[in-house]
Parts: sequence; structure tokens; C-alpha cells
Amino acid sequence: MNRDNLLTAKDLIPEFIESLAHVGAEVIKLNGKDSVLAYISENYPECITFENKEIWEEYSFSCSKEKLEKLGTIQLEGRFGVAENGAIWLDDNCFPNRLLPFIAQKVIMLLDSGKIVKDMGEAYDCVNECGYGVFISGPSKTADIEQSLVFGAHGPESLLVFLY
Amino acid sequence: MKGHSYKAGIFLKDESRADWHDKTLWMVRQKRDKAARSVADWEDLRERASSIKEQVLSNLDFYLSEFEQRAVENGVKVHRASDAQEFNEIVYKIVTDNNAKLVVKSKSMLTEECGLNTFLEQRGLEVVDTDLGERIIQFRKEPPSHIVLPAIHLKKEEIGELFHEKLNTPKGMSDPVLLTSAARTHLREKFLSAGVAITGVNFAVAETGSVVVCTNEGNADMGVHAAPVQIHCMGIEKLVPQTRDLAVFTRLLARNATGQPITAYTSHYRKPKPRGEMHIVIVDNGRSDRLKSDIHRSSLKCIRCGACMNTCPVYRRSGGHSYGYLIPGPIGSILAPSYNIKKHTDLPFASSLCMSCSNVCPVKIDIHDQLYKWRQELSEKGAFSPVKGLVLKIAGFILSKSALYDFSGKVARVALKWLPRRMVYSKINVWGWERELPAVPQESFKKWYSKNSGKNNL
Repeated sequence: MNRDNLLTAKDLIPEFIESLAHVGAEVIKLNGKDSVLAYISENYPECITFENKEIWEEYSFSCSKEKLEKLGTIQLEGRFGVAENGAIWLDDNCFPNRLLPFIAQKVIMLLDSGKIVKDMGEAYDCVNECGYGVFISGPSKTADIEQSLVFGAHGPESLLVFLY
Repeated sequence: MKGHSYKAGIFLKDESRADWHDKTLWMVRQKRDKAARSVADWEDLRERASSIKEQVLSNLDFYLSEFEQRAVENGVKVHRASDAQEFNEIVYKIVTDNNAKLVVKSKSMLTEECGLNTFLEQRGLEVVDTDLGERIIQFRKEPPSHIVLPAIHLKKEEIGELFHEKLNTPKGMSDPVLLTSAARTHLREKFLSAGVAITGVNFAVAETGSVVVCTNEGNADMGVHAAPVQIHCMGIEKLVPQTRDLAVFTRLLARNATGQPITAYTSHYRKPKPRGEMHIVIVDNGRSDRLKSDIHRSSLKCIRCGACMNTCPVYRRSGGHSYGYLIPGPIGSILAPSYNIKKHTDLPFASSLCMSCSNVCPVKIDIHDQLYKWRQELSEKGAFSPVKGLVLKIAGFILSKSALYDFSGKVARVALKWLPRRMVYSKINVWGWERELPAVPQESFKKWYSKNSGKNNL
């Protein structure tokens, strides 16, 4: 299947947003990536992004785990989202260190709203071959104590998704 | 030996807890139903999942060697273990070769099956289960009571008490949010200092050599990405041919297990991290024997979602520990006898054969039929008590002779009416311990039918 054809369906956005809310993520939709970046720098000034090369290097595999553990809020960009379950695909090209999406206290995730597929069937047609890749659907969670849902089991306590 | 019914009796003594257990699991079952109904082609997905697994099991040698070849090309070290002992030794060697003292582990029923924790601990290593539910039962030195919800048998107050003792939380604190937060702090320390991380495997993809692990907590990833060495442990039956097959299973697994549309994390490990080491251990441990059996091979299709437990009226009212096997419930009852037929003779009988397990199974294992087939096998092997064997023989004799059956019915109707209660409900009548017989009818159904047939077009 042609990947570009899959990643255009605009009518999947409402379902995707609903799924994200269902799995415990917050969603904000803005027009254009620039307005998202402006929003983040105004509201989350402490947020660390890996868009520039030096910071990418700083947090790459040689970075100490102790330093990573002190991370508060980080910003990542997903490759595509899945409408049926709110999952967002990230792979080795999305972060300098595989531990980052898990060890940070809060993850802010950017996603191009043109890159949403219907279901996992379409999703696996878009998955590229990489050393490591993950579908993330909402923040880390557990219900191991009396079936009470608690966010932030080991990984991030919250996930904020910006659609642009 | 104290079997399932004896231990279920103990579980049921605490009526309010048994009631809570029953209702909680039924709630999970209802969530599952809701999630399943939200997918239009649900039944089609089950059919496809089942046929993919059949395909894999029929060509396992091919897919195993394809998987191994791809994994090696990816820079992964692949090991094969024929039994639990060999598996434990392989893992132990990897750990000691890397001079690790602390091992963190995410959920893996395979390592439970092989007794890996005990093996490593006896050799001086510290093993920490990092799934919250598993950590709780590890602190209590208990086996899991459910494969997806390992600590479902415990109340929050008990966990509060346990954490007070082990993690120094304030006495009497039993709020799940605060308890989870205490565990988070405790386990983050372990993640950062572990030399080796071990995970189970949900699916292994033959065409790419990658393994897929599904968690909600993110504990598999915390362990794997923080430790220099990662080990993924899988049974030979975990393979799927292609990446796109994962679409079928990831759509089914979490919905069927807990009613979630997908787990929070679905991680695909293909190559080791920079400067890291990645191992995959493929374990047989009796699986190829089951594969050879035409009758029992379908149990190898299981993807460990736990739905058959949540729906089972016997599991919900007897608790996971009453089964005496690491995988409880209907699926455990058909797996256990293939490992140890003598020890687990009673498990195929821990069922009402209501078929609910087969109806919710995402890969369409004929669980109820398997239970029945085990009963047949066990009775042929003389596994029944002499009393039960004799009773069944007498019943078989009577039921095969029409006149004798009619006569026995008459005798029973009279006897039940006139015999004193303490004789009818004597100790031998196990059925009558907790139940009352219905009122005795005046005549048999056969007689009633012959009188009434012809009337009202009956």
C-alpha cells in the first residue's frame, strides 16, 4: 500500500482525539507547527527539546542515567498516530536515547494531524524497519492495586499531545 | 494431596472477599465485551488470529530458523534451551559474564514456569520483578493468582501493610495512588542500577527477527533501555510470520485482556542499543511434545490474555491460588496436566464446561473441549478415586438399560420422599453439602410425556 495515501484522512482526527482522551492523554489542536512551538515555549519553558544537534548529542546513549532521571518535561515528535486506539509510533529517529520517552516525568508529543491512520492494520503498513520502535498510547499506567487506575506507574505521569 | 476443590473451599470461607473477587473479575469481563463490540470485524479478527497461529504451529521449524537467522543478522545473540534447567543456566551465564549483581525483570510467565528467580537468587543474585503487581507478590513470596492481574487476590489495605513493612510507607496508608508512587520511587532506583534487564515476549516476528513486548506500566522499556544488557525470553510458540500479523494480535490482546484499545506501550525490539547487548532465549520446555499431540496442540495458540479466567465462574469463585499451577483458570487447567499429569489430575474437573472460556478466547482455542478430553484421558488412566469410579460404573450400567432406569427412578422418587433427611444429606452426598434437592415430582418426565403427547400438538 502507498504510505502517502494512507496518511491523509482528515476525518480520522475526531476519532483519534477521542481515543487519546480515552487512554488518559491530554490533547491540544493548533494550526501549524510554529504555533505549537510558541505555545510550548510560553507554557512549558522548562521543556527540553532535542531538535538542535547539540542537545541531541548531549542526551544520546553516552548520557548518564542519573542525568536522564532528573528530566522533567520533554518534547518528542511522533511519526504517525492511530485513530482506533490513540497510539503514536516513535522509532530510533525520534529520540537520541531509547530511555527518554519512559524516564521523563512528562512527555509532550507533537504530531502532524495529516499523519493519522485508521487502525493497526494500516499502522503496520507504515512502520519502518528500525532498531527499536514503540507505539505509545497515553501515559504509563497501572491498575494492579484493587483495579484502581493510576497514571505514572514507572514512565511519564502525563502525556500531552499537540496536533497541528 | 489437597486439590483444587479443597483450596477453593478455603478461599470461599471469606465470603466478602470471594464476592469482591468474583465481581471485580466480572467487571473486567464486561469491559472486554464493550471493547470487543467496538470493533466491527471482531469475529473475523479472532478467526485470523487462530489461523495465523495454526499456520505457525504447522511450520514452526521454518519460522524458528527464519527468526533466528534474522535476529543474528540484527546483531542479537540467540540461544536455544530445551528445558527449564538449560534456560536458567543460559540466563545465569549471561548475567555472570557481564558481572551483574542486580537483574530487573518485566512480566514473563515463562520465567515463572522455569523457576528462574529462585535459580538466580540461590546463586547470590538479586532479582527484582518490576511490574507493580508482580513486585507485590514477590514481596509476599507468593505466586501470581492471575496471569494479567497478578495481585488481584489482594486488598489495598494488605498492600499498604506490606509496603509499610518493605518500603517504609506510613502505617495505614492504603491509597492506590500513594502506594503506586512509593513503588515508582523504589523501582526507579532498581532500574538505574541493574546490570541486566529480562523481559518476556508477547510476539516474535519471523521475517524481521524482532520481539514485541506489551506493557501498561512501561517497566519493560525502563529496564531494557537503562541496563547495558537485555535478555528477552520466549517459548517457541510465540512466533508470527510477518510484521503485519501483529496488527491482528495488537487489536485483540489488550481489548480482550482488560478492555483497553491497546496497551500503553507496544515495544518492538530489533537491534541492541549502541554499546548494548541483546540476547533472545528460545525455550521449548515440553512445548514440542504438546505440538506432537493432535489433541492438545491447540493450547499452544494461547496469547496469555487471561480472558478465560475473568469469565470463568469457577475461577472467579475459587481464586487463582486454588489451582496450584502458575497459570490458573481454564487455560491453566489444560496446560498443567501436560506438564505433570499426576500432580494436576483434578484441574480438568475444575470447570462447569459452560464454554464461556472458548467463547471469549481471542485465538479460538477449544478450551472446554480440551477440558473434556483431559477428563476422558484421565479416567482411562484410572485417575479417579475408587468410589467415584464405582459410582460412575453403576450409573453407566443403569443408564444403558431402559427398564432398569425406569425402575430406579421410581425407587428414587419414593425413597427421597420417605427417607429421613440425615440419610439423604449424609456425608457421602458431596453434592448436597451446599445444595438442596428440588421437590420430588409425582411422576417421571417420560410418563408425563406419554400422557400428554398428542394434546396441544405436543
